[in-house]
Formats: sequence, C-alpha cells, structure tokens
Amino acid sequence: MMNRSVSFEIFRYAAILLALAITLVPTLWMASMAFKPIAEWSAAGADLTWWPKNPTLDNFRFIFGTSTSDLIVALDRTAGKPILSSLLSAVFGTLVAMSCGTAAAYGLSRFGSGQNLPLALIQLRLFPPMAVMIPVMIMWAFLGLVDSWWGLALIYGIVTLPFAFWLMKTFFDDMPREIEDAALVEGCSRTRVFMKITLPMMRPALASSALFVFILNWSDYLIALLLTTREWVTIPVYMASLSSSMTGQLYGAKAALGLIAAVPPVVMGIAIQRHLVRGLTFGALKQ
Amino acid sequence: MTAIHLENLVKRFGAFTALKTMDLEIRDGEFMALLGPSGCGKSTTMNMIAGMESPSKGRILFDGRDMNGVAMGRRGVGFVFQNYAIFTHMNVYDNLAYGLRVRGLPEREVDGRVRKIADFLQLTPLLKQPSAKLSVNILQRLAIGRSAIVEPAIFLLDEPLSNVDAAFRAVMRTELKHLQRQFRQTMVYVTHDQLEAMTMADRIAVMDHGVLQQVGTPLEVYNDPVNLFVAGFIGSPGMNLLKGSLADSDRGLVVDLGELGRTAPLPPQLAAAARSNAGRDVVYGFRPERVSLSETGEGMPMPVTFIERIGARTIAHLGTGEQRVKAVFDNDVAAESASTVAVAIEPASVRLFDAATGVAIREA
Repeated sequence: MMNRSVSFEIFRYAAILLALAITLVPTLWMASMAFKPIAEWSAAGADLTWWPKNPTLDNFRFIFGTSTSDLIVALDRTAGKPILSSLLSAVFGTLVAMSCGTAAAYGLSRFGSGQNLPLALIQLRLFPPMAVMIPVMIMWAFLGLVDSWWGLALIYGIVTLPFAFWLMKTFFDDMPREIEDAALVEGCSRTRVFMKITLPMMRPALASSALFVFILNWSDYLIALLLTTREWVTIPVYMASLSSSMTGQLYGAKAALGLIAAVPPVVMGIAIQRHLVRGLTFGALKQ
Repeated sequence: MTAIHLENLVKRFGAFTALKTMDLEIRDGEFMALLGPSGCGKSTTMNMIAGMESPSKGRILFDGRDMNGVAMGRRGVGFVFQNYAIFTHMNVYDNLAYGLRVRGLPEREVDGRVRKIADFLQLTPLLKQPSAKLSVNILQRLAIGRSAIVEPAIFLLDEPLSNVDAAFRAVMRTELKHLQRQFRQTMVYVTHDQLEAMTMADRIAVMDHGVLQQVGTPLEVYNDPVNLFVAGFIGSPGMNLLKGSLADSDRGLVVDLGELGRTAPLPPQLAAAARSNAGRDVVYGFRPERVSLSETGEGMPMPVTFIERIGARTIAHLGTGEQRVKAVFDNDVAAESASTVAVAIEPASVRLFDAATGVAIREA
C-alpha cells in the first residue's frame, strides 16, 4: 500500500515535470535567445547553448531601430508603433467587449427569458473566422476603418463579445438575487444597485473575464493581418515580417519581440492574481 | 407598527399554484410566524408582502392601503434573508449604514445609529472588519442589524436562524423577541422550525401545499389542531393519529382501533360531537405527552417496539402494524422492548378527526 502510493507520487511528479518541460523549455529558450548575438542564435553559429555566452541587448536595439546589429539589414519600421497598435486595439477592444458583454449578460441573467439569444451569441464563434473576415474587410474598407487601431479595436470588441458575455452571464447567474433585493428593499434604485452593489461585488469576475478577453485580443494574428497594412500593424503581424532575404528568419529579433509581447498579459495576471485566487465569495452564503 | 391584511391572495408560477387563496390578518405590532414544511408557500407569501413578487390575484393591504404596484423600496419593510445577503465588498459598518445612507441621512446621524444598533447586537468590536470573512453567527446578526437600523414598520424574516448552530439559535430566539418588543414592529417570521414559531410568535399561521391551514396562538394550534396536517406537524414528536371507527359500548361511545382494541369512552361533549358527525370512520388523536403506563393493567394493551432514552425524556414506541403510537415520559419508564404495556390516555387530551376529510371533529 505504502509502496504503491510512493510509486504513484513519483509518477505524478514525473508527469508534472514533463508537462512543465513541454511548456517551459521553449519559452525559456525564447527568453535566452532574446539576449543572444546573431552568432549564437543563427544556424551559422552551430553552437547552441542554454545561456548566452555574450549576452547582448542588440536584438532589442535592432527592433527599435537604434542598431542594425551585425545584420546587414535595416528595418523599414521599428517595433514601437506595432506595440502601440497592439496595446490600443487590445485594450479598447477589451473595453468594448466587456462593457457590452457585461450589460447584456446582466440584462439576460436578471430579466431575460429563454435560451435563444445566449446560444445564438455563442454560435457566432462556431463560424470559421476566414469565412467572415473577407466580408468584414469589405465593410471596414467601406467605413474607412482599415489600417487603424480603432478599426481593429472595434472588430476585436465584436469578436470577443460572446466570451465576455458568457463569462459574465455565468457569474451573474451565480450571484444570488437576494443581495440585490436586500438593497432594493431599502429603497435603492435598480441603477444604483447595479453600480454600487452588483458591479463592486463582481470585481473579481470582471477582472478575470477582462484578462481572458484581453489575451484573446492581444494574441490575434489573422484579423490584424487582414485589416492592417502599414500604419497600424500589430505585434504578431510585425513579427512575421522580421526576416531578411539574406539571413532568413531573424530569430533573435523575434525572440526579443516575443518577450516584450509576453509582458502585458503577465503583468495583468499578476495584478489581478489576488482576485483570481480568491474567487467569488458572494454575500458569504451558505448553500 | 402597521397592520397587514392579505385578501384572497393567490400566486401562480406558470401552471404551478404556489399559494391558493389566502386570507390573513396580521395585527399591528404582532409577531406572526408563517410555519410549514418547505414548498408550503410561506416564503412566497413573504416575498409578496415585501413586493419582490406580485400576486396573481388578491390584494395586500398595509393599514388599509393597497400595496399593489408599490415598489418594494417604498413599502417600509425590512427584510432579513435566509442567506443573509450581506454586501461582502463592504465592511460591517458600511453594511449597517447602508439603509440610512440610501435614505440620505446626514453622516452624523448615520454614525450614531450604527453605533447604537452595533451595541445592541454586540457588533461594536467588528465594525471595521471586512464582512466577507465573518462567521455565520455574526453574519446573521449583521443581517438583522442592517434591516433593523432603519426601524421599518414591518419586519420580515425569512428563516433567519436556519443556518446557525443550535446554541446560537436559542440565544437569537430570545434576542429577536427582545428586539421586537423594543421596536414594536409588526414582525412576520417564516420558518419550518416549530420550536422557533412556538417560542417567539404571538400567533402562528400553519401552511401546507399553498393552503393556510390554521391561524392561532401557539397553544391553540398545539392543543386544538383543526386538521390532521396541523396535528401531525405541530409537536415533536407530533400527535399520535390512529385510524379507527366509532363504536357504541355499554360505557358510552368508544373508538374501535382494530388490532389495538377499543379505546376508553370518549368524554361526553366529544362523543356528542362525534355522533353528529356524518362519517363513522375517524382518526383518534392524542399527544405523546398525554400518555401514561397504567400500573393496574387497565387501559389499552400495546406491544413495545423499542424505548428511546434521551436523557431528560424517554420516548416509547408502541403499537403494531400501521397503528403506531409514541409516548413521551419525563422520567425513565419500567418498560422493555418486546413486552406489552397497558396504556392510559388522558381523556381530555383526545382529539377526533374525520377520516375522510381530515377535519377535526369538535364540540359545537
């Protein structure tokens, strides 16, 4: 019995380590590569090591245009604008999705009847994105929204709205009505109940839903590829362009950019970790 | 300090009728308990009084004023929810102050009243604590305090003690009664716990399956249940109810209980009522506390199935087949399982019910 549980524990930790290795090794490899000079990351180097032998910030300097490093390429644009574009479109897209999604979820959770609308919203996601993107390109071109961060933010908001809606609806459904009734019975108006009681109590739910939606928007490639051309390309689109005819893929530069791209979600995750861990303790209920 | 009048109140949820034509007068300053098993319609009734649900039919009057269409915030009721519904994003102080702030009272007055009610409910040391991590007992007091602080004319409590531990429940029963005496509100208290209803209420409204069964003082519903449901529901254990039929004997009218034999003659007034009743099939009822074991061997012989000794009391399980009897004694009794004892029932405690309708047969 004892032996069995020990061998089970060994197996368990081995499985965990394997899973960690599969996810972490490539990530750490990227982080290490970001600080390697070209000789160490290119195939020509043929001398791959875990730690950079000559750590350098050249890759970062390169993508921000202050150095051409040892590459005999000059970029036609720097990473600054794509980072700004990604930030603006993802943040405002998240705002659009969260505000519309939260309002719709609250309305349907408290006053809605039937399941048709919620299901219809999720069905939007069953559509292959490619099938809708061309019509969207035409519409965006008509509206003059192509190649702008606000055009991207709008489509991001629309595309992630079902997620925001469904996440928030689940949270609203779980929140006991008695808490709102308790405020209503004191003479509080519906609007005030929503603003002063419901939303504040929903803070953890809002934070985790917003993070989820933000990550979806932040990592989009397809939509940005089709809807931006030059001015407002986002990080993923820009990253794809980091190659040269002479050296092929610029892995070092891509790694540096990838590292930068990982920062916002990680920072947000840490910032709301308290909420994510604490979860939802509505009204300290029995049940 | 408001009388509540429920007039032909009906509540349907789709095809389901939660409440069937209820009429109830709750007097000004009265402590009324709505008592019944879960699903009996008591919470629905309460929610309609508060204005959270609107009646399908009928009217709710506060001091003669029709409340139909009056928003719940304007009815002047306080409501304590079963799950407390504490605002967990606020601390204890802000929870208590909530109702007063909604009403726009100046902060100085809010502060004074919060401190007063906190003192009364022994919450003073906890005022600055976040309310998310309080114990159930504290939450319960906080919920009462949050509603009581605005001194509502009508105080509605929905099973407020069902989640707290037994010892604290006993304390709160006393405190709630004390609270009501102090503020003299009209109090409506929903519970499935008859002990709470019996100890606190001025009157009890017993409900079952959406039908109001009986309204009366605790002793009235205990002593003179109007039907079989109330007889079986009130009391712990409930009234013994044995099926039988009326039979004449040379000593007067008795009830033939089949396997258990015949009862002692019914008291004259009850016998007269029974004779004028249409049916001959009756249910013979008596309280387990009104049974004694006869030393002389006189009385009905009953087999003992087992004896429960629970310290202060002894419960004897007697009878055979469907005719089961529980007898409660203050002290230990000299009866053993599998023996047969002679059972004497206090004649004045006997109640008869019509077997067909379940309605009590009462002296005219």
